[in-house]
Amino acid sequence: MRLPFVLAALITCSFSQTQSDFYTLEEIPLPPGEVMEISSIALMPEEKVAVATRRGDVWICSGAYDDDLTKVTWKKFAHGLHEPLGMHYQDGSLLLTQRPEYSRIRDSDGDGTADIFETINSGWGINGDYHEYAFGTPPDKNGDAWITLCLTGSGGAASDWRGWTVRVTPDGKMIPTCSGIRSPGGIGFNAEGDVFYTDNQGPWNGSSSLKWLKPGSFQGNPTGNKYHTLANLPAPPEPADKSRILAERLKHPGFIPPAIVLPHGKVGQSPTAIEPDLTGGKFGPWAGQLYIGEQTHSQIQRVLLEKVNGIYQGAVFHFLEGFECGIIPAKLDPAKGVLFAGGSNRGWASRGTKPFTFERVKWNGNTPFEIQTMSAKPDGFTLTFTGPVDAASAADPASYSMAAWTYILQSSYGSPEVDQATPTVKSATVSLDGKSVRLVIEGLVRGHVHHLQAPGVKSASGQRLWHPEAFYTLNEIPAS
Amino acid sequence: MPLKHAFAMLCLCISAPRLAAQDGEQLYGLYCSACHGADGKGATGGAFPPLAGSDWITGNPKRSVAIILKGLHGPVEVSGKTYNLEMPPQGAVLPDDQIVAILNHVHTAWGNQGQKITPDLVKATRAEFESRTDPWTAPELLKLYPLELRKTALANLTSRVYKGQWNSLPDFNAIESENVEEEHNGILDTSISGLKDHYGIVWEGGFMAPEDGGYEFALDADDGARVLINGQPVSEVKGIGPMGGNRGSTGKTNLTKGENPIRIEYFQATGLVGISLKWRKAGGGKWNWLTKPSNAGNGGATGIPLAPQDGKTVIYRNFIQGTTPRAIAFGFPGGLNLAYSADNLAPELVWAGDFIDAGRHWTNRGQGNQPPSGDMVIKLTDRRYLGAEARFRGYSLDSMGNPSFKIVIGDQLLTDAWKPGETGTLVRTLTLTGGSAALDIPAGGDTSVVSSQSVNLTPGRSATLIYKPD
Repeated sequence: MRLPFVLAALITCSFSQTQSDFYTLEEIPLPPGEVMEISSIALMPEEKVAVATRRGDVWICSGAYDDDLTKVTWKKFAHGLHEPLGMHYQDGSLLLTQRPEYSRIRDSDGDGTADIFETINSGWGINGDYHEYAFGTPPDKNGDAWITLCLTGSGGAASDWRGWTVRVTPDGKMIPTCSGIRSPGGIGFNAEGDVFYTDNQGPWNGSSSLKWLKPGSFQGNPTGNKYHTLANLPAPPEPADKSRILAERLKHPGFIPPAIVLPHGKVGQSPTAIEPDLTGGKFGPWAGQLYIGEQTHSQIQRVLLEKVNGIYQGAVFHFLEGFECGIIPAKLDPAKGVLFAGGSNRGWASRGTKPFTFERVKWNGNTPFEIQTMSAKPDGFTLTFTGPVDAASAADPASYSMAAWTYILQSSYGSPEVDQATPTVKSATVSLDGKSVRLVIEGLVRGHVHHLQAPGVKSASGQRLWHPEAFYTLNEIPAS
Repeated sequence: MPLKHAFAMLCLCISAPRLAAQDGEQLYGLYCSACHGADGKGATGGAFPPLAGSDWITGNPKRSVAIILKGLHGPVEVSGKTYNLEMPPQGAVLPDDQIVAILNHVHTAWGNQGQKITPDLVKATRAEFESRTDPWTAPELLKLYPLELRKTALANLTSRVYKGQWNSLPDFNAIESENVEEEHNGILDTSISGLKDHYGIVWEGGFMAPEDGGYEFALDADDGARVLINGQPVSEVKGIGPMGGNRGSTGKTNLTKGENPIRIEYFQATGLVGISLKWRKAGGGKWNWLTKPSNAGNGGATGIPLAPQDGKTVIYRNFIQGTTPRAIAFGFPGGLNLAYSADNLAPELVWAGDFIDAGRHWTNRGQGNQPPSGDMVIKLTDRRYLGAEARFRGYSLDSMGNPSFKIVIGDQLLTDAWKPGETGTLVRTLTLTGGSAALDIPAGGDTSVVSSQSVNLTPGRSATLIYKPD
């Protein structure tokens, strides 16, 4: 009796998929003896990659794309910068978001090290508090960099424009653009070029989330609201304490809800980098989706966004894990489909146990059986899969389950999961091509995170899902 | 039938189990272990405060509840090491039953023997501190709920304090002590000296060995110290230097059960202070502290001195005491240094000697302002003398790494270039281009520091100032 049981378990295990079946994660050797707590990554011509560090150095790596990573070489390009958290290569220069300023640095005499450090804008305040981080994007389609300014400490705004996101134009003007920021961990674009940032759980932020920086929007934390007077802007909303995001945003139309809530503990604890998949499928079947770095859990999550009633929402899926340290920046080369990720756990611990890391991920061309997209419908969701499903298991409502909840919007730190609901999967209909399933669900709750589990779904060849769950933030339920 | 059974089992495993609120270990893994470590030893090889074996676990259990509810901010000493991180408050995240479960796990795991946490205690503590909005600081909490005095293995301990300036341990027997005290708690504590710099302490007493056998003693100190047992040196930290680096030493000795005479000698020169001494049975086991955590120095949080390399000027851009947040500091070859304020568009500090220690900002989270390393820091100016329209435009570096700061004032460009001159001097060259207005620029500092009190610049002209900070 016992032996067959063990055998059966072994046979079953052979169906399970693991990361290394699809993705190759490799450490890129760093210069020996250097402390490189990587804070930014920029892709450069000729397959060079620039990295900046929390200590204020910029290094340029050659060979980071090559098969043999033991041959990479490093050249120190600059030092003495102030914690660059955003870097982009443009026309022979590196554009940097440093804690005190947005800058352009370059090597004018060709000796391989920077000698011009041009300040483009330094319009925001800093006071020496470690928490006043500044994260910046590459230039957007207008050439503007978006810079999101963390509060002072966990819940103060002691310096000008803390708690805001500003844009800096190519000619050096600063345009305050969004209010309501708490503690960003990264900022970036989606495939359409809209700007998003990740905000960490804390006051007025029940769980960490991915937020859409719609120009003029308020993001939920009123601590920095007072600075609107510096630029004669309208006062941002003052949400009620111990309320809900949905209730407050309906009162205050400028309050844009988080596009994707990253349930605390379940989908990481400290979201960071935002990087769109513009590879057209060179990094797996996720073209147009978004990746989010995760510092505490040393992971990268995958996000599918859609717009319903003018508001972004969508699903987050577990994706890559096992990085050697907490991930802060990530860059995906759109032409070559190579993902670079770096990070540090100084001051904030991570599952990865090294103090800092620089890593590369390549897709090996094998497609995992996975939920590819999850899209809201008036009465449920449509799932698409990366391959044909087994019709019997995928059409069985018992193969799925759902739970839903939201968070308290409050001045206290974080929030428990509240207002729990249990939507019921009434039916599951498999499409003719076998690659999508229409779920009809009773009891969807507007504004809630909907946690879908699909452990019973199998592929046509009998495989289980690589990650059998998704978390969909249902800001809006579509009418049709 | 077995096959089907196995499938069912596996499905159960794949579907994420709903968290049972009472499973403290699982909740700890989810919410706490990223920082405190699954093994309670502090994540990343002890970069975060350990809970295993921590003094903070024992004594009044409200201390643990208060911390988890409201968080903890600022420096905290745990098991002989100082941490300066941020424990986020969990009171708004975790319901009472989860807090009870997590704390009962922490209070009993890893050999901890903390008191049992009850739902009533959590409820009462939550009510008591309901109006509190700020995280605790360690001193606040210890005032409310002091750590229990530990009984150490040191019996009949006395301390003698000596005054003197030393670079290595002196022969204390040849010096008169200032003071003798009994130390009933059996703990080595440098603060009993009441002095900041230039002193020594000798503790004497008996080390109560629980059984015959080999014992290890691990010693670290800022500055020097040694341990003698039964008249024999066991371990020594020589000379002057910080703790937490590679100066510490562990020695081994055989002891017989019962009281073994022990003598600990310590001296402090200047700056940081500390001694840490712990013992265990040879070959492993739990370390036992003979020092207070407050005597354990700063855990190596400082000590990354920066200096010019390869004959080139070194740059440090960070928060520097005595100037503004947008400071950029330059350490020039030859031992002179400058801190320029990009807020006030002016040089604000010059000093001779060592440049700066990056340890404050390059370890932990990097809070606060770091003073320059030199003994004599000269403040040149502390205000903005150019008008509101003047804007900092960055700097360029020459081939030796020396800076030229750029300031745009309307249609004019002011260049403010610095480099080392003849021995003990810095040469500052100011150049104005464009426009038509002349510019008065105060040099900062008095006549003992700078060659002239101000310069008057007209467009197209340069002026030079010589600074002698030494």
